[in-house]
Amino acid sequence: MKRGTHPAAARVAASTGVPFSKNPVLEVRLPVWRSRVVLFALFAAFAALAGRALWLQAVSNQFLQKQGESRYARTLELPATRGKITDRNGQVLASSVPVKAIWAIPDDVLQAPAAKLQALAKLLDMSEAELRKKLDSDRSFVYLKRQVEQDVADRIAKLDIDGIDTRKEYKRFYPQGEVTTHVVGFTSVEDVGQESMELAQQKTLQGTTGSRRVIKDRLGHIVEDIGFIHEPHDGRDLILSVDSKIQYIAYTQLKEAVEKFKAKAGAVVVVDVHTGEVLALANYPSYDPNDRSKLTGQQLRNRVMTDTFEPGSTLKPFTVALALDSGRVKPGTLIDTGPGRFVINGAPINDTKPHGVISVAEIIKESSNIGTSKIALSMPSQEMWEMFTKVGFGQQPKFGFPGAVAGRVRPYKAWRPVEQATMSYGNGISVSLIQLARAYTMFARDGDTIPLSFQKVSEAPQGQQVIKPETAAQMRAMLETVVSPTGTAPQAQVAGYRVGGKTGTAYKVVNGKYAMPRKYIGSFVGMVPMSAPRFIIAVMIDEPTTAAHYGGQVAAPTFAAVASNALRALNVPPDSSVTEIIIPANAAQEGM
Amino acid sequence: MSNSLNLVLTALMVACGLSLVNAQYQARHLFMELERTQSKARQLDIEWAQLQLDQSTLGKHERIEAIARRDLNMTPLTAARTQYLTQGEP
Repeated sequence: MKRGTHPAAARVAASTGVPFSKNPVLEVRLPVWRSRVVLFALFAAFAALAGRALWLQAVSNQFLQKQGESRYARTLELPATRGKITDRNGQVLASSVPVKAIWAIPDDVLQAPAAKLQALAKLLDMSEAELRKKLDSDRSFVYLKRQVEQDVADRIAKLDIDGIDTRKEYKRFYPQGEVTTHVVGFTSVEDVGQESMELAQQKTLQGTTGSRRVIKDRLGHIVEDIGFIHEPHDGRDLILSVDSKIQYIAYTQLKEAVEKFKAKAGAVVVVDVHTGEVLALANYPSYDPNDRSKLTGQQLRNRVMTDTFEPGSTLKPFTVALALDSGRVKPGTLIDTGPGRFVINGAPINDTKPHGVISVAEIIKESSNIGTSKIALSMPSQEMWEMFTKVGFGQQPKFGFPGAVAGRVRPYKAWRPVEQATMSYGNGISVSLIQLARAYTMFARDGDTIPLSFQKVSEAPQGQQVIKPETAAQMRAMLETVVSPTGTAPQAQVAGYRVGGKTGTAYKVVNGKYAMPRKYIGSFVGMVPMSAPRFIIAVMIDEPTTAAHYGGQVAAPTFAAVASNALRALNVPPDSSVTEIIIPANAAQEGM
Repeated sequence: MSNSLNLVLTALMVACGLSLVNAQYQARHLFMELERTQSKARQLDIEWAQLQLDQSTLGKHERIEAIARRDLNMTPLTAARTQYLTQGEP
């Protein structure tokens, strides 16, 4: 019980420990400056924070703002489509449709299972080996295929292969294919015009892409525009002067003629006499602009515009018109063409057969070289040169068609008499078919020539008077005799219509010399209907290899076929009084 | 007096704030609607171009001629089988 007897003593002992206020640690007096230092350090830290905040908020705020913006603001590219090309009646000849370019990051794609790659190759229309070859590349970006149509691209996206992505682009479609391609041309995969009107009108056809800055929300919706919107501008649509119906007629008839006469090539151009619009321009051989993998230079060549040839007799009317206009001869003036052979300074000029003494009108009808030469030699060379130049020979055509050539007319001072004579019937001078067609507007109209156009024109162009209206009328009467049964081109006749024109057969010049054995170019330039000319149609058949090779045999039938169909297509009433209009007995059943 | 004015002003301010939020919300909604409509318009434009192309492809003279000749047994018209009527003549 000892413990129980001394409890108070124990408590005292406990309380007699060291008193709290006497703690020796507290006894130590620290210098005052130490707490000041801490206080200052804390203050300085806060000041630094405030300064930094101020700096970021007010002075150097761009960096952070940019960083912030990049998390919600996006720049969108606004695409612009290339303008459409339509014919004069609004039928689409070329139009761009959005497609996809498929590209890949090779390393990622090669990780994909083989089955998927096989499916991909199939969709891309290539063998698996071909696909693997494309992917076997050091680059980190490879186009697998361009201009893939939308539904195929969607199916490729569904395969869900890592590293395959698409890029938006446009593909140009040409629904009329090879028929209109020499007028319309085509574009590259980059949507840049390469040929014909696509190239000539590149600037107006192409659009300019726009852009806009927007805020997108978490789901990718556009929430708000920020800043300016640069509007995209679509390319302007181009309305051509071409009539797709006449174009088709011209192309099919030309194709038929080239095949029938086993020719190397051929060309047709149809011009509206009133407006100077080119209603059709066809070349054969042609090509499909939608599939250019097998394109050759021969097919690409636009013979109407870029080929010059010696026009031959189609040039005679210009010589005769000049002589008539200057009053040197009249249509009835008689000229002695002799026995069909005429020698100038030792150089012979031949006719296909002796014509004897014939009138000026008959010289055109029979296409006498000697007659034309004699008329030409009675005139100064300068006047002839001026005539050729005024109607556009030797001049660069001005209608903005790429590759249009000037042809060649030598300066008149260098002409020797024999050259002046041969030039009068179209040898020793070179022109393109389009120049020839344009020059004939002088006869079809009242003695004036008009500029041609490949775009639809709204108002009739201003003509440039070359010969008197009376001379043009006399010439038309002569040109009409050419297609009479006794003229050089009876096959150019069109049932129900009066037509007129001139044949031409020229030897081809190869490397500056006439080709041996002879190669020919048969041509025919004419107008219909004669009472009030509406169209000028020029046909050229290059190197016919059948026995028939004269312009009247190879080119005139094509002229007639194109003319009759074009007149019918455009509802031109017949003007011939000699046509037997037969109404079939069963007309009622047939017509109604 | 000034106490009750404060209350009214506070209530007004809150109301204004809420209406601003609402207006913003509506604006964004309408904007999204506009976007959707515009993209639909673009889609329709593309479709229209496609249809024009189809029309031109199907309306190819070559195709029409082939169908007319083969399926419909038609032949080209000639001037000899045409009766021309001139306006104004009996």
